[in-house]
Amino acid sequence: MDIFQLQGYAYFGLVAFMVVILYSYIYHLYSSEKKGIKDFEKYGNMALKDEITDTPVEKISKDEKN
Amino acid sequence: MENRPLEYDYTVAKMFMLTTVLLGAVGMLIGVILATELAFPGVNTILGGLGLNEFTNFSRLRPLHTDAVVFGFTLSGIWATWYYVGQRVLKVSMAESKVLMFLGKLHFFLYLLVVVAVVGSLFLGITTSKEYAEFEWPIDIAVVLVWVLWGLGIFGLIGIRRERSLYISVWYYIASFLGIAMLYLFNNMEIPTMLAASPAGETGIGAWYHSISMYSGTNDALVQWWYGHNAVAFGFTVPIVAMIYYFLPKESGQAVYSYKLSLLSFWGLMFVYLWAGGHHLLFSTVPDWMQTMGSVFSVVLILPSWGSAINMLLTMKGEWQQVATSPLIKFMVLGSTFYMFSTLEGPIQAIKSVNAIAHFTDWIVGHVHDGVLGWVGFMIMAALFHMAPRVFKKEIYSKSLMGTQFWIQTLGIVLYFTSMWIAGITQGMMWRAHDEYGNLAYSFIDTVTALHPYYTIRAVGGALYLIGFFMFAYNIYKTMTSGRRVEESELQNASPMAA
Amino acid sequence: MFHWLEKHPFFFAVGVFLVIAFAGLVEILPNFAQAAQPTVGTKPYTVLEMAGREVYIKNSCNACHSQLIRPFKAETDRYGHYSLSGEYAYDRPFLWGSKRTGPDLHRVGNYRTTDWHENHMKDPAAVVPGSIMPAYGWMFTNIADINTAYASQLTNAQFFSVPYNKPVPTKDGGTVTVAMANSVAEANKMALDEAKVITAGMKDKDVQDMVAAGKIPEIVALIAYLNSLK
Repeated sequence: MDIFQLQGYAYFGLVAFMVVILYSYIYHLYSSEKKGIKDFEKYGNMALKDEITDTPVEKISKDEKN
Repeated sequence: MENRPLEYDYTVAKMFMLTTVLLGAVGMLIGVILATELAFPGVNTILGGLGLNEFTNFSRLRPLHTDAVVFGFTLSGIWATWYYVGQRVLKVSMAESKVLMFLGKLHFFLYLLVVVAVVGSLFLGITTSKEYAEFEWPIDIAVVLVWVLWGLGIFGLIGIRRERSLYISVWYYIASFLGIAMLYLFNNMEIPTMLAASPAGETGIGAWYHSISMYSGTNDALVQWWYGHNAVAFGFTVPIVAMIYYFLPKESGQAVYSYKLSLLSFWGLMFVYLWAGGHHLLFSTVPDWMQTMGSVFSVVLILPSWGSAINMLLTMKGEWQQVATSPLIKFMVLGSTFYMFSTLEGPIQAIKSVNAIAHFTDWIVGHVHDGVLGWVGFMIMAALFHMAPRVFKKEIYSKSLMGTQFWIQTLGIVLYFTSMWIAGITQGMMWRAHDEYGNLAYSFIDTVTALHPYYTIRAVGGALYLIGFFMFAYNIYKTMTSGRRVEESELQNASPMAA
Repeated sequence: MFHWLEKHPFFFAVGVFLVIAFAGLVEILPNFAQAAQPTVGTKPYTVLEMAGREVYIKNSCNACHSQLIRPFKAETDRYGHYSLSGEYAYDRPFLWGSKRTGPDLHRVGNYRTTDWHENHMKDPAAVVPGSIMPAYGWMFTNIADINTAYASQLTNAQFFSVPYNKPVPTKDGGTVTVAMANSVAEANKMALDEAKVITAGMKDKDVQDMVAAGKIPEIVALIAYLNSLK
């Protein structure tokens, strides 16, 4: 197998992989909102309520800093 | 001092606002000079009496124009907004960390040093010739340092944040940081020629700053356009999207239409944009399938790019009267419209048969400019207009001046891209025209003289935009020096402006 | 997984980086070795040609002139045979350009002479009426940087194995050897010898005097380079 064939296979494999990832992400977004696990739209408020005195949308607690 | 409540600290943001305005004015001024030189070649030698022909010549100024606008105006704009938006959406002040404050200032001053070195070296003709990567190795090293400092600033601020999740804008800033870092490093791999030794044992021969590319010929071209295209992606698209995701919702008081769509288009953009680099190489010596892939992905690219733009326009849903009343919103809405327009135009140019005509012509120049003038320029100016009252605690000096600026610049852009469309297609068609005997119908010079009227219109369009930019600079300056002081309560959403 | 990425900026950054890096890897890397093979008849640049190439770069000639002939009838009629990948094997950096404000120059050596270039660089509009190319008068007085050109040659030979002082095949089946100097002094002497050949075809008295006095103006180097583009 020459390098071009390899390149072709690598390309297709990775594209397929990315397509799966992208679509499962769409699924993840909408299903977790529907099931009520997570409300994504509330994050939009991070831009609107951005004074330093405003309460964070999701407060970071001391023990889970990374 | 001790009991003052905590506030956001915009010191570094202000510094970069200054360079945004200054370098924007310089870069655009040079642009207008270049446009005039193409229409009226006599302008090239306008300072000939002083023996300065070498430095006012089109070819010497051209890299200065692109670099001043890309690495001066746009980068400064990106950083000015980062040091503003970053603090706000992470809800942490730079004043809380002496280290981050120091890094931010160091970032600015080192950047200023690089700007001076770039301007000097390009005037002297010290260049590697690779577009948007003209700097020789000593400057490249300094650029990398500046970039690392920005990275430390980003991740440092994220490290001490109060908001747990990262707002979508921060994602885009991170992507911009990483993307450019990778592209710049790989494209600027070069060997300083002073490292070579002659058989007689001499070392350090010739100019110490000179280098040659690590890649040769076709490979060099591949890497260069992989860089060239994606520097546009991560310099002109990604960070500008970051800005609009913050400034449009904030200014209009409307949360982004769909946060989910914004996440989705982020990943779509990340994945697809890199593939499109190959379309700069159509009909060159790279393999066929790669050229085709380049075209296909450029077309697919429309979708995620438009995801962001549509999201922005829908954010204004039910609030369209704001577009009519606020010139600031006008800038952003027209900006995202130009974004949609140029992301549609780009893929069209990438279609093989279109590219056969468009490549090497002024249509490409037109495409770049409707994106940069309409999208990047408008968005950065809008961001600075929004920031000015909050940073200086002053009311924007003049709303009517802002409105006038908007219309003058819009007219300028329209003149610019329409003339370049016509010029590009005219020249592309003339190059390929044959007469009935199968001979070329036009000599090259015919295809140049035919463009004179369009070059003239373009110069006028560019000059209008420049005039608008000076109005912008004046407006910001007057806001800073003589605007009415505003209270914190006036700054919630729509920016306060005096008539 | 996605949930987790959104909250861990470091791994998020790694993810973004992988996504953007992979396209570049698959797209560019595998062709490297093949695209770098020179075609038969492609020679390394002599020291004066190299100096001329650096004058070309210094003045951003590539901002307006391409060096890439595309495989269309209109282009091959106008400029000659379309460009081949291997013809650029010794080009560091490449000079394809991205805009044709002026004509392509990839094979300009086939149809323009020293004399033509001399007149044209002095006053383009006098040679080609209607030309919008500016005049490059300073090239007739600025001295070409031969030392740096020699350093470029050495770098090419030592880091990239460009075959100087070695026979390279020519199109007619023979071989040709491009010599490279052993010292800076010798490089300057070789450049001067080349320059004398070029100036024999030039009319400018000042340029001839300068070369006779051992100095090589930029224009001479540039013409040597342009003549080598075939």
